[in-house]
Amino acid sequence: MRARHYGDFLGARPAIGWVEVHSENYFGAGGYDRHVLERVRRDYAVSLHGVGLGLGSVHGFSAAHLKKLAELAAWIDPVLVSEHLSWGATSSRHLNDLLPLPCSAEALALVAGRVEVVQDALRRRILVENISAYVDPGANEMQEGEFLSELARRTGCGVLLDVNNLYVNQVNLGRDALTQMEKLHSVEEIHLAGHLARGDLLIDHHGDRVAGPVWRLYEAALERFGPVPTLIEWDTDIPALEVLLEEAAKAGARMEARHALSA
Amino acid sequence: MLCLPEMQSRFAAELFARGGAPGMAVYRGNVFGNWSQALAGAYPIVRKIVGEEFFDGLAREYARVHPSISGDLNEHGAQFPDFAAAVPHTQDLPYLPDVARMEWLAHQAYYAQDAAPFGFEGLDESSRLRLTPPCALLASEWPLARIWTVHQDDYEGAIDVDLRSGPDRILVHRPRWRALVRSLAPGDYRFLQAAARGETLGDALEAAAADDPDFQPSLALAGWVDAGVIAL
Repeated sequence: MRARHYGDFLGARPAIGWVEVHSENYFGAGGYDRHVLERVRRDYAVSLHGVGLGLGSVHGFSAAHLKKLAELAAWIDPVLVSEHLSWGATSSRHLNDLLPLPCSAEALALVAGRVEVVQDALRRRILVENISAYVDPGANEMQEGEFLSELARRTGCGVLLDVNNLYVNQVNLGRDALTQMEKLHSVEEIHLAGHLARGDLLIDHHGDRVAGPVWRLYEAALERFGPVPTLIEWDTDIPALEVLLEEAAKAGARMEARHALSA
Repeated sequence: MLCLPEMQSRFAAELFARGGAPGMAVYRGNVFGNWSQALAGAYPIVRKIVGEEFFDGLAREYARVHPSISGDLNEHGAQFPDFAAAVPHTQDLPYLPDVARMEWLAHQAYYAQDAAPFGFEGLDESSRLRLTPPCALLASEWPLARIWTVHQDDYEGAIDVDLRSGPDRILVHRPRWRALVRSLAPGDYRFLQAAARGETLGDALEAAAADDPDFQPSLALAGWVDAGVIAL
């Protein structure tokens, strides 16, 4: 849920399974955003999706940020809390972006320790999401899918699989998306979003409908992971809620078709 | 092979340099774009005054000089008023830093803790007052309240501002969800300033009456309590 759609959720209460918000948008001590979230929470399960913690930042991992997240979670009682497999700060500044980590043993050890810190502070499990990348940090010692699965095994966290990000990385970094999925387990939520082609790169801009190849990967994901709760993300040039509901309905139809097949 | 600390500091340095892989340009665009967008959200009036393109340049320069220090982008921009006062290209807009100060107070008011209901029970002259969390005061030689009003998106009146119509003493407050700005008479400003400093009710009323012969103590107290501006 973004601010553009507050009116929709306060008014007509669209028939959807749950609402996901960016945690940091509700870090204020009071005000309208928190008021809306509290109202929406009465009618929907809420999932908190963080963009600023930076699990993989060697320096600049902020205890104050984690405390705010813990307070928010204690207040809104979310159904899920998720963070990204990324870094985003140095000792001297925050970079406010989701930056790529190498799939190395060193990064795995750092992130696993951080996930444990977060889960202890929140007193609950979290999900960790794969990100899109525009440069390969190199020094990879394993596949991204293996990295996430090992992280889940070590910490007990779950995986939030962003299917669009898998596709973006397949194009940008040459990482085969299906290979990553084969290595994955513990997938408890799926994200779908649109991307933008610019030169040889795909930009994960969350500003368009879900692309054809991503839908095909989504079908493969349903095949492998079952009917996992799925969210449509849209953060740039946000359209009317109906457009998001149409995309969500497409995901729902694929989930039902898969279910009918397996029944 | 680079280890993780080296890799991250080198990546950050590249973000503030030029060239590199095409993907680095994407990160550069995203990172500086996020900072500009955050600053534009906090300073919409400054942006209207200087124009979007110029503002974007200011925002990029600001982010280089004043690092973002929080994963919450709503905290980015606290030093922008002083930055705007110091950059050479805004010297022909001497009122800009105070407009920015007003906007940062309004930005903070938007996210501030809601004012709790306040009753008069137990209130006497020795009670120490305070402003409620969304409220703040600012005195300026420029007509800030007028500048605020004419730059609101839903404002439809004449847009002229007589810059010589200052000085102005303003209150930034949030009656419900939207931050507002209003001009204060000298007595009310003095009274609320005393409240902000934690002075006693008796001292605050006395100081305000001494500053402003038109100040009406009982009206002021009831009015500012009722407006959710002061509390115990």
